[in-house]
Amino acid sequence: MEGMVKKYQQKFRRVKDEMNRWDELQSRLLSQFRNASSIIERLQVIRNPQNYGALKFVGGIEDMILRKQMESLETILLSMNKTLEEFHGVVTFLEKSLRDGRQLVKGGSIQATPKQLQQRIGIKPSLADCLDGLRLLHEMHQSEYLLKSSIVSALSGLALKPSRSDLGALQQLLVDQPNIPKEEVQFIFDIVFAEEIC
Amino acid sequence: MEENLASTSSSQPLSPPPSFESTKLKHQNPSTESSISSPLPPSVTRLWRPAAQRNLRNQWSKMASYRQQWKSFSSSARSHATSIVNSYLSQRQFPLKTTSLFPRMYMNAMELGVLSDMPDIRKKACRKLFKQQKLHRSKLLSSYKDMVDVVMHMVKTGRSMRTFLKGSSSPLVQFSSISEDKNDHGDGGGIPVYAFWSIYYFEELAQELVQMFTLELNLKRLLVVELLSISSEEVPVNGVCWLDELYRGEFNDLCICGLYSTEVCEPVRPKIKDWKSDTSSEQSNRQPEHDILQVYLTTWLAEANIDTYRMDEIFAVVGEEMHVNLS
Repeated sequence: MEGMVKKYQQKFRRVKDEMNRWDELQSRLLSQFRNASSIIERLQVIRNPQNYGALKFVGGIEDMILRKQMESLETILLSMNKTLEEFHGVVTFLEKSLRDGRQLVKGGSIQATPKQLQQRIGIKPSLADCLDGLRLLHEMHQSEYLLKSSIVSALSGLALKPSRSDLGALQQLLVDQPNIPKEEVQFIFDIVFAEEIC
Repeated sequence: MEENLASTSSSQPLSPPPSFESTKLKHQNPSTESSISSPLPPSVTRLWRPAAQRNLRNQWSKMASYRQQWKSFSSSARSHATSIVNSYLSQRQFPLKTTSLFPRMYMNAMELGVLSDMPDIRKKACRKLFKQQKLHRSKLLSSYKDMVDVVMHMVKTGRSMRTFLKGSSSPLVQFSSISEDKNDHGDGGGIPVYAFWSIYYFEELAQELVQMFTLELNLKRLLVVELLSISSEEVPVNGVCWLDELYRGEFNDLCICGLYSTEVCEPVRPKIKDWKSDTSSEQSNRQPEHDILQVYLTTWLAEANIDTYRMDEIFAVVGEEMHVNLS
């Protein structure tokens, strides 16, 4: 049993690495979002010919500026979708870890009994703790990925009909990552690595 | 030399590929025909090609590096411009933070809280802003000057694509970038320099690039003039107008870039490529609104006259033709 726990702990270490990657992606996505939303905010201003001041007499300037901004926006949206794909990569990894984790107790050479699953040795986690942890982490990131995807598509929608408050709300949602409560994640890792904390 | 000779003889002039024929080569006609009818002696042509290849490679690498320089000067100019705008708006009302969704506090409507008991706090703050403003203005101007310099270099480079025969009397064949004989067009008789293109096509592409940057420089000059003229009650400045020389020698520089009309003795009006601009000059507004300033900064960023895709394409195809990576 102890060997099994070790295997799980190894898995959790790799999961931790992937979650660090998630954090990197998160800050990348945020800065992409900010860039996109500042362009979207500007769109209405640059659509209004009254706002061109001394540039007014430069023929074609409004069309050109609008076109250029739309191009930049498109580029940013494309790279946001690429970032999303990478988020999805993390989710896939978590899914695989969970599957492998289940395999460990079910399909392996020794099949763990329900009793063994619950068994705790000292402060080491039980196998059930490990499995639950993997399952929870996967669920959290899976839902958060779906949320992010819908935020990104909402953002493209806002490009056509900008609203400052909507942009703000979306950004807040993106920052908050409501599906990944930090304390809960920490709690999972605390249980799995209890011996290392002491 | 021997190596060069060997490489030259191996690449005979080829007919251009089909895709090439669709591109217009209007520049080519007058001088090419005349020079093809009076080609250089084969011995000279053999020597001319490597010299011309070397020259083209140099000129285009310079072009690529000027492009990068432009990018960096333009971006520092933009950050100075943003500072000017923010400083002005903070004296008035709403600062513009292009990346932020939430406006900051501002001077006049600012709740100073306990600070309001301090004597002249507002005045002092404004004096400080004035100093800052002055600094930003001089920085913007110096970045603008850097940009003019870069464009001048580009113009020069665009005109240095040809390779002329030097001192025909000397027994040693030498080449230079300066024409000494008016019958020598510096085009090697219009033969392909590398695989397919004659000097004229390289020139045409360079011209296209240079035009993007000169038009953009001119548009940015208008923005510089406007930004330097921003003035508020708290911090009054002596603005400039379009007809002023922004720094000593600017008009000379603009002349080189083809942006100064010696007929009417004033800078050429800015325009967007393939568009016409009104000639009526607009009286600048010294106290522009928030939105107008936002449009100015956006315009600075947008580089309306620089078609990035086309520019990348030009560098890519030229690099390919010369077997160098220019990006």
